Amino acid sequence: MPIAPAVQISEDQDIAELLRAGARHRAFDLLLRRYEGKVFRLCCALLREPAQAEDAAQESLVRIWRALDSYDGRAALSTWIYAITRNRCLSALERRRPSESLSEPQIAAEAEAALAQVPMEGEDEIGEPLRALVDALPERSRRVLTLYYFEERSIEEVARMLGCPEGTVKTHLYRARAALSEQLRQHGLDHPSHWLESEHA
Amino acid sequence: MRKSDGMNGADDDRQDPLAPGQAPEQAPAPALDRALARALPPPAVPEGFRARLLAAIERDTPLGEARERLEREQRQRLAELEASYVRLRRRTLGTLIGGAFASGAAVTLALPWLQAVLGSSTPLALAGAGALIALLIGMASLRGVRIGV
Repeated sequence: MPIAPAVQISEDQDIAELLRAGARHRAFDLLLRRYEGKVFRLCCALLREPAQAEDAAQESLVRIWRALDSYDGRAALSTWIYAITRNRCLSALERRRPSESLSEPQIAAEAEAALAQVPMEGEDEIGEPLRALVDALPERSRRVLTLYYFEERSIEEVARMLGCPEGTVKTHLYRARAALSEQLRQHGLDHPSHWLESEHA
Repeated sequence: MRKSDGMNGADDDRQDPLAPGQAPEQAPAPALDRALARALPPPAVPEGFRARLLAAIERDTPLGEARERLEREQRQRLAELEASYVRLRRRTLGTLIGGAFASGAAVTLALPWLQAVLGSSTPLALAGAGALIALLIGMASLRGVRIGV
């Protein structure tokens, strides 16, 4: 596990102080305001399905509420929260029946199909093919890449959320983007005059 | 909350993260970075998520904790009721004492005029009027109790 940066600990100092003072409800309220979105986005990145992500986020936050009294402040609060969330997501992934999840060849086939569709004028030319290619990436690279953009390109935050060193995040990002560039090149979508340089909203 | 990692500036100025040992000239195209940022927008927390979460927490609260909370609330309500009852008793007592003094003062002031008008039957008339007023107050209070005031 990476060592939590001092700045994160100091940011959550107010929550720790409220907990020490016995103001559990106020501490949890503050925690929710600060981490609700991040927990949901982490669940989305790990589970892909928004409905499952919502369930997992809710279960994680209920567990965090239950365990709040046992938080001793030795690790950063964010590290503790993300660890609980990751565990819930892993349990949810294990519970998934094999028929409910797509294998990587299936995802790759879906990506091919998405790329084969020629977008009509005015449609989102960028989003669909690129999302399909991202979905077809190896799981760890996909998670890192997705979270990187969900968290406004903060490698530090992605590393904390996934519980891995920043170097690992950078490596996965590099691999993911190299794979995406290669896929785009293969499909003739990499030329600057093509959609990569377009400025669609 | 956002941490600076050297890449959190404006979209177009952002550099792509480099793999360890990667030379700067090998950085992937900024166009791909922008396209990915548009294709992967952060998902918004679903509407009503907070309310559902708080309801789940309420359901999850252990029985002992819930009982303790209910007992605490009951104690607070009982204390409020007790305070209201004491206030009511003070007001009633004050009204009675004030009313008695006011009646006495009124009778004292009106006694010469009453004696002039009623003569020797003044004490009887005053006692009768007092009994009638007491009866009316008693009936009004009884009616108030019956309708739950």
